[in-house]
Amino acid sequence: MLVGTVVGNVWSTVKDPSLQGLRLLVVQPFTTGGESAETIVAADPLGAGVGERVLVVFGRAARHCIGKGHDIGFQTAISAIIDRMELTDGRGVDPVASEEN
Amino acid sequence: MFLGRVIGEVWATRKVADLDGHRLLVVEALDQGGPPAPMVTPVVAADPIGAGVGEEVLVAFGKAARVACGGDGDFALEAAVVGIVDDHQLSEEGSA
Repeated sequence: MLVGTVVGNVWSTVKDPSLQGLRLLVVQPFTTGGESAETIVAADPLGAGVGERVLVVFGRAARHCIGKGHDIGFQTAISAIIDRMELTDGRGVDPVASEEN
Repeated sequence: MFLGRVIGEVWATRKVADLDGHRLLVVEALDQGGPPAPMVTPVVAADPIGAGVGEEVLVAFGKAARVACGGDGDFALEAAVVGIVDDHQLSEEGSA
């Protein structure tokens, strides 16, 4: 599991039938050195918004979060919308957009 | 499975029901004595055993993590703290 910030949405029409109805978000993983350049795509059963910090899970746990059974063609999901994150030395803790607004 | 240090904690109100009651720790993999890597993506792990911030811990993934948290295959977790490390030692070769 990792922490990331929602930075966008993805829409897809031509896709595996098992992905019908999934909301897909682009998430930028949190790193101790600031924002990661890489992004990942996660299904969102909770309704997270752009700028929110989220918890991302992978594999079987992700398919369980999505709630459509284990036979779906997806492996990443958002399992929580994070209210607060505290690190011991404050490294990399930037304000979450939703807290500023 | 890896050896890490607890560097923080996260809290969430809106979450899948499986996470209710589970403490979520931010864990950074231990380096081998060199300078800290500039950009590390820390792992978030559920903590069923009560580790504290700053402690060295063992983190397991997948089903091992779900079992440690009292779940099985159908559980929305895939990383968990399964041990608090009292001490560890690396050989010279291991730390090179």
